[in-house]
Amino acid sequence: MSILIAVCDKSNAETVLRFAAPIICRAGESVVVLTVIGHGMDNALPKTDIILAESCQQLQIPEIRTKVRKGNPYTEVRRETEIGNYNLVIVGEWPSSRLRRGLLASSAVRVAEHIPSLTILVKQEARPIRSVLFCDSGDKSSPILDRFAAILNDLMAGDGDVTIFHVMSQISAGPGVRGNQLRAGADQLIQEHSPEGEILERDIQKLEHLGVQLHTKVSHGLVVDEIIAESRRGDYDLVVIGAHADEGIRGLLLDNLARQILMQVDQPVLIVR
Amino acid sequence: MKKQHDQDLLRSDHLIENSSEDDQAHLAASNSIGSSEKNPHSRRKWIHTGKLVLFIISLYLFMLAIALMKDGARGVAPLVRDSFSITNAANSLGFGWLFAYIIMSGSPVAAAALSFFDAGAIDKLSAFAMINGSRLGAGFIVLFIGFLYVLRGRDRATSLSMGVLSLTVTAITYGLGFFLGVVILQAGWFDGIQFHSGALLISAIDFIVVPVTDLLLGILPDWAIFLVGLGIILLSFKLFDKCLPQMTIKESQIGRMSRLVYHPAVMFSLGALVTLISMSVSLSLSILVPLSERGFVRRENVIPYIMGANITTFIDTLLAAVLLDNPAAFTIVFVEMASISIVSFLILLTVYRGYQKTILNFVTWVTISNRNLAIFMVVLFIVPILLLLV
Repeated sequence: MSILIAVCDKSNAETVLRFAAPIICRAGESVVVLTVIGHGMDNALPKTDIILAESCQQLQIPEIRTKVRKGNPYTEVRRETEIGNYNLVIVGEWPSSRLRRGLLASSAVRVAEHIPSLTILVKQEARPIRSVLFCDSGDKSSPILDRFAAILNDLMAGDGDVTIFHVMSQISAGPGVRGNQLRAGADQLIQEHSPEGEILERDIQKLEHLGVQLHTKVSHGLVVDEIIAESRRGDYDLVVIGAHADEGIRGLLLDNLARQILMQVDQPVLIVR
Repeated sequence: MKKQHDQDLLRSDHLIENSSEDDQAHLAASNSIGSSEKNPHSRRKWIHTGKLVLFIISLYLFMLAIALMKDGARGVAPLVRDSFSITNAANSLGFGWLFAYIIMSGSPVAAAALSFFDAGAIDKLSAFAMINGSRLGAGFIVLFIGFLYVLRGRDRATSLSMGVLSLTVTAITYGLGFFLGVVILQAGWFDGIQFHSGALLISAIDFIVVPVTDLLLGILPDWAIFLVGLGIILLSFKLFDKCLPQMTIKESQIGRMSRLVYHPAVMFSLGALVTLISMSVSLSLSILVPLSERGFVRRENVIPYIMGANITTFIDTLLAAVLLDNPAAFTIVFVEMASISIVSFLILLTVYRGYQKTILNFVTWVTISNRNLAIFMVVLFIVPILLLLV
């Protein structure tokens, strides 16, 4: 697997490399660490090289290539992914003002949203991945599940577990609607072969041969709130979500839930498109 | 077997609730034209023609009703002023609210408010307040239908959620909009925004409506004329309902409201657009039911939809103001729309996510127990009665 790790400062580099080390050891055939330095910070360049070398040595990461780019982190990482053909991009959260994060989302969030590769956004100190929260939107046409299944064993340390999570934010649209499924749990929905139950069953079928422990969970409420709550409730090391459809009429019509989740979840988030 | 029966019941309920559905139009058209069943294009053409005829009839009835209410309002004015003691904005708010409960519709009450204003029975602020109250009362309709389902043994939360949600969103927006509108009206900021019907429009309406109104004026007292007008306006709205192009939404990009979460601005615009055509918030909401097989809709989509609907639901009242040929009445409705729009945009642009969570939590609280529901219902009836008595 070809991996790009994008970092910018010392704390960020150490956090991201620590998280990425087990993945690199398992599946990193080709690894590039890209350091992006803002304009006017040329004197940080030698320091960054030292940090990277020290970090790689401490974390026992096999030989990697390093690249340095100067400029806007979002632009530079995008440029690198366009020329590099990476399977997985791991980015750390770059420091940015609270106002900018609130209005525009941070550069790292924007990178995670827009690059075509699978992307993991690492915000704070993270553990090796043993427990994953896989959030399925229920879109049958989406390739998210297949792509996630394809790299699951590369990401997971040992025999981990995956929780397949679906949020039913539906309410009855009118008074005459029969709504017992609006309060049902995962098992009941599967038993009743409801659309949500069929989604969960399909997910189980596609993931069960990968040798991980599978759990299913359905929650009722607002999609973003329920995912954030579950990510905090459970002891998860990685949250997996689908990317926002940012192209075409659908991208304009649909709400960008991925961004809201990216901005609020504390654990590393894998964005699959 | 029972499950199948319940599903059939549900389907038949949908059919009854959405009698304006294209399905019924399809059915009617195929029954009447027989051979065109083989040709979908021809059938579709017949459906469109049928709906157009229905629309023209309902528009005529609406114009006739406004003319009758205008003439009859003079006879009802003393009753409104003296017997009901509608002397200030608070009374008018309560009166419009309760009036809408009684006739289970808001638009005719709003039209009545304008005709009372035109007849001099109430002042500008009172007319504005009565229109505001009419919409609060109209918000009760979906909740009332929900009650009927609860009485038939359906689940409380499922049956009442949409009604409570709709009423709560409406109450908050209109409550804030009311105070803003009062300030705007008293300051006279929008007094320059008036619409004169024009001689051609007036003479055209006179030509088609006056023969009927003259006939009725000759045989009925003024107060009865007002009641006939009220009845006709209710009938015209029922006919409007049947003209709705519901399938168009289902087949469009936005027809997957049960599965996808749309941007609030998109749902806001859709709610405004659908209500611009349907003229009724409750009808716009009923359109959401058949969009999914199970009658579900993503809760993220509903609140901005209701907020959009709450603005354009005034379009028929605006038309009524034009038909009354009273420029000040037009200003009142315009201020109503402007104040609700300003409040809605401010909520959407600033505190929307928190607002959404609070409203949904409140809906859950109301529907979680009979005690909470009873408190909510008591407030819904006590507040307008208190306003009427102030």
